Amino acid sequence: MVAGQARNGASTRAYTPEAAERALAGARWGPTAVRIALGAQLRRLRETTNITREEAAEAIRATHSKISRLERGRSGAKQRDVADLLSLYGVSDETEREELLALARQANAPGWWRQYTDILPRWFEFYVGLERAASVIRSYEVQFVHGLMQTEDYARAVVLIANAHAPAAETDRRVSVRMRRQQLLTQPGAPELWAVLDEAALRRPVGGPTVMRAQLRHLLEVIELPNVTLQIVPFRAGAHAAAGGPFTILRFPGPDVPDVVYLEQLNSALYLGQPDAVIDYMTVMNQLCVQAETGTVSRDMLGALLKQA
Amino acid sequence: MPPVTDSSSAPGQERPKIDTTVPHSARIWNYWIGGKDNYPVDRAAGDQVIATFPDITRMARSARAFLMRAVRYLVAEAAMRQFLDIGTGLPTANNTHQVAQAIAPESRIVYVDNDPLVLVHARALLTSTAEGACDYIDADVREPEKILAGAAKTLDFTKPVAIMLLGILGQIPDSDHPQSIIKRLFDAVPSGSYLAFGDSANTSEAYNEAIRNYNQHSAYPYNLRSPEQITGFFDGLELVEPGIVPVTRWRPEATPFGDAGEVPGLGGVGRKP
Repeated sequence: MVAGQARNGASTRAYTPEAAERALAGARWGPTAVRIALGAQLRRLRETTNITREEAAEAIRATHSKISRLERGRSGAKQRDVADLLSLYGVSDETEREELLALARQANAPGWWRQYTDILPRWFEFYVGLERAASVIRSYEVQFVHGLMQTEDYARAVVLIANAHAPAAETDRRVSVRMRRQQLLTQPGAPELWAVLDEAALRRPVGGPTVMRAQLRHLLEVIELPNVTLQIVPFRAGAHAAAGGPFTILRFPGPDVPDVVYLEQLNSALYLGQPDAVIDYMTVMNQLCVQAETGTVSRDMLGALLKQA
Repeated sequence: MPPVTDSSSAPGQERPKIDTTVPHSARIWNYWIGGKDNYPVDRAAGDQVIATFPDITRMARSARAFLMRAVRYLVAEAAMRQFLDIGTGLPTANNTHQVAQAIAPESRIVYVDNDPLVLVHARALLTSTAEGACDYIDADVREPEKILAGAAKTLDFTKPVAIMLLGILGQIPDSDHPQSIIKRLFDAVPSGSYLAFGDSANTSEAYNEAIRNYNQHSAYPYNLRSPEQITGFFDGLELVEPGIVPVTRWRPEATPFGDAGEVPGLGGVGRKP
């Protein structure tokens, strides 16, 4: 499956967010990934400057148990409080401050996808939250164009594969979730999307030739964004590094926050946060990127495919 | 789309393999600065150096901070708008083009490295502003003519160019004549061009020992140079203040943590008269 691609509406039995969080626990992720990330950073900064929880609490007019909850990711924090703590901890580098303040914003913002809980399984909701917190999204896709790069018509065709008999209104909502996710790419502080795509996905006319031609044209537009890279693995590359299926690796701001591998299955998803597992996927992803055509050559390939389509 | 030419990629060419069973300098460096693009073998090699010379992580971060300050100086005070960054390394925060283009968005940067992992990361993640340009060249620092020919697609060599050699010439043994590499590069650029140079020096016994141990287990030994050798790299160039100094002492910025201390890494900036 593809990141958020296929069966958004399938059973929610197999993987709940709690299970996903348990899977992440080995990598120090907790109830909400972003809060944990932020909390871990704040704790590290406090400890390296030898400041006690009590002293930190005083600086933000709070109790030491509030600091404790914050550092464990049990509660979010106001921007102003995080800014004050960073000053107390001597973090003066603007880039580092902004990274952490961005995490604080993300930890507090209610997800727009909450209004779609009727059609989004919880294991996928969790992905949407992580995707939004990521600084780099690296994906490998085989069968479909990545969800963040799909046209509305292409997305509709993909949604219908899994939900052919759903009422039209429900299909519309599923498509609109995907379109809404794409706003991420053009927002301030947008993540880098670094996608590797098998040539097969570009030759398979999902939704028919007209929809596919529009999709190819759309890809040529999306890759103009400075934060988007698409590398095509051509057929002539032969057998390549990713003997398995598609996968996504999410990287988050901050030095102490580990990468997470997202594997979408038929009606559930796996979130891998253990360093050993992540390393294996990272190795395959890096090898794929070396084997695939560069972004520039891939752009030319897209142009050629569009002429043939 | 920024005008990205990609000088070094041809479709269908033979693809290199990424070897994760032997340590690689770019990935070890990434480990020392706290990056996430390193493998267990790199961490083991990095830890071996840390065991003898714990300050290596501070030194690695100091070297990145020196890069930032040097690029800021070159853009803001020396009015440089063209950069040839040889030995790019894995992307981190504040890469050359980001620092330069934050001040002058029209800045043009050519990144050069010979590590395939570095190159794919650079192409994907080191992307230019619309006003400027970034290009990526797959070449060894020992091939200055190849580098210059590739860079000429993006840089105008009739105008001054800032050439950056940070933590790269230490990978070149004396037998490959590092000084002649600099000379050949500077023969190709006009008066008013700059060199930003930084590298490890043999000024700390603990560091010397750490690198001796490292070299015994590495296929690519690192060459620590004496302050005199490093000064020699600037032959024919006019050093800007404060000359060749530990990288932490090169135009340091005030921090709440006080003095950044000494490290056995020397750096400087010089201008071609």
